[in-house]
Amino acid sequence: MALLELKNVSKIYGELKALDNVSLHVDKGEWVAIMGPSGSGKSTMMNIIGCMDKPTKGEVLLDGVDISKESSKRLTDIRRDKIGLIFQQFHMVNYLTAVENVMVSQYYHSMPDEEEALEALGRVGLRERARHLPSQLSGGEQQRVCVARALINHPELILADEPTGNLDEANENIVLDLFRQLHREGTTLIVVTHDPEVAEAAQRTIVLEHGRVAREVVNENFVE
Amino acid sequence: MTKRRMFIRMITASLLRRRSRMLIALLSIGIGATILAGMVTIYYDVPRQMRAQMRSYGANMLVMPGDGETLDSEKLARVLTQLPGDALVGAAPYRYVRLDMTSRQQSFTTAGTDFSQVVKTSPYFSVEGRYPDSGREVLVGKEIAETIGVKVGSDMELTWQPATVRTSGDATEDRVPGATLIGAAEGWSSGTVTVTAVLDDEAKIKTLNIDASTQTAEFGGRTQTEPEFAQQFIGKSLPITIGEDVDALSGATITSNAVVEALNGAHSATDAAKPNTVRYTVTGILTTGGEEEGYVFMSLEDMETLTGEDKLDVAELSVSAEEEQLNACAEAITQSGEGVKARLVKRVTKSETAVLGKLQALVFLVTVVVLLLTMICVSTTMMAVVSERRREIGLRKALGASDGSIRVEFLGEGVFLGILGGVLGAILGFVFAQVVSVNVFNSSITFQPLLLPVTVLVSVVIAAVSCLMPIKRAVAIDPALVLKGE
Repeated sequence: MALLELKNVSKIYGELKALDNVSLHVDKGEWVAIMGPSGSGKSTMMNIIGCMDKPTKGEVLLDGVDISKESSKRLTDIRRDKIGLIFQQFHMVNYLTAVENVMVSQYYHSMPDEEEALEALGRVGLRERARHLPSQLSGGEQQRVCVARALINHPELILADEPTGNLDEANENIVLDLFRQLHREGTTLIVVTHDPEVAEAAQRTIVLEHGRVAREVVNENFVE
Repeated sequence: MTKRRMFIRMITASLLRRRSRMLIALLSIGIGATILAGMVTIYYDVPRQMRAQMRSYGANMLVMPGDGETLDSEKLARVLTQLPGDALVGAAPYRYVRLDMTSRQQSFTTAGTDFSQVVKTSPYFSVEGRYPDSGREVLVGKEIAETIGVKVGSDMELTWQPATVRTSGDATEDRVPGATLIGAAEGWSSGTVTVTAVLDDEAKIKTLNIDASTQTAEFGGRTQTEPEFAQQFIGKSLPITIGEDVDALSGATITSNAVVEALNGAHSATDAAKPNTVRYTVTGILTTGGEEEGYVFMSLEDMETLTGEDKLDVAELSVSAEEEQLNACAEAITQSGEGVKARLVKRVTKSETAVLGKLQALVFLVTVVVLLLTMICVSTTMMAVVSERRREIGLRKALGASDGSIRVEFLGEGVFLGILGGVLGAILGFVFAQVVSVNVFNSSITFQPLLLPVTVLVSVVIAAVSCLMPIKRAVAIDPALVLKGE
């Protein structure tokens, strides 16, 4: 059953076709990697899937709802309820502690619950560092906090933009292990990357080139 | 944890953990609030202070006896109770008489007064030496001191001529030719005989009028109708002895005796008020730059001893109140039924009101300008805060914050800043006003409890208004900026 479906989606900026008639199908619980050189349309696709931009043409169905025609207010609601975001540059509120950063996500979603936030931090192995400010955490630790923040509201879809781009190998492995756990629990994952190793961790890789889907590779070696 | 607690946790963390930037915003609100609180305090307190200061320009109300009435110390004291208790700065009573300094052939207007009050009503009096007390001491105006050459420590002899000795003469002249004695005595069969005698310079009888109309025409009445009888008295000194100085009219002995008795009676009555000379020590020379330099001053007690009368001509009041209130006071005194009238010294009152009005307008203007500057400063700081926090705002929106949440959060920070700055400002403002008051007006001020909530409220409003533009900018931030490096 499809969680996300893009049907002939185009995004046109004047003369430039950032996305050119792209169709994509992601099943619930699936782990998909999106690869491609810069300017291939990855970011545009990410923004559209993340409900932060609308396509010029085509339909985008997220959990059965066409999000290509929604108002930006509705898009905010949908993003909040269904999507967990992870960014390349971590993006934490720099004056809030790790646990407070997780709680910010709860705050906008429903109710802040410190216990639950601490549990989520425990899951990414940072329970001990919950009271630290971002400046007191390493890059890997910050990204793990962001994973905890993304999963705290149990989203249907976790959308990660170059999640390991700024991490060393050890931390990359920790984050990929967390993704594997989430996948096992049935969370749908879409990971934008240009790191082949990260892409190989996914079940399926979609390669974008010049705004089009160039090819799709199914990972034969995928380990559940 | 409730949403509200998380909200408070977020905005306090924002203010406490991002110190430098917020400190600037807090400081600008704090300073604005300080000026506001200080100015408001001064605005309300200065008129009070200024009025007290203005009183140094002299009395602003005069209390005088009404037509045909008199004024004395007791009556004045009763009249003063008509004034609100703390408004009266001072009330100086004055009795003016002309005293002669025979050794110099001069006469001076001399004022009897209460020097402890003069210090309050006429603070501009400058005395070389000291104010006299009641022990036969005088304060001499500079002009007189120069004319007659007296110094502090000199003695001067002053003579008082009773008013009755002057009445027959031209009151405007200093040298009175003589006195008029009016007397009455009982003659034949209980009829009253009245005499009017005018004395010459040597106190000898110059003319004599006898009114014996109550007496029998053929007997006593003849003392009036036969001028020879009255003629005998001319050139005689009082008292008159019948049989020695004058002869009784035969057949009218009783009436003749009555005439002499009336004359002698009138003479002994004026005897108490005969010219009185006292030697005074000069304790001070007065400089005022005004007409007071041509006066001699002594205590009311000395004046009373000299003249034998407790009587006041005028009281100069220094009242600390606004023009309207002063008018009301003057009216109350005039209507008090004490037979006195009060009027304002318009020149002083008018200029006081004008100066205060201008001062308040100035303070008001400065406050408005400072508040505007504060608003600009806070707005600029918050604008910088928004651009500095673009990524954070984008992140919050990406995490699902609605435009409303972003607005509320920034407004919350603004209000929080306003409260902190307001409290800080109210306290610092009071200190500021106190320092100004002590240095400029030489007196302390009392803390107005209402000042705290008012200052905090104004600060909050200003902080909130200052945040409107920055909030507009914050809401316009695109959440997509958090994806891909910026």
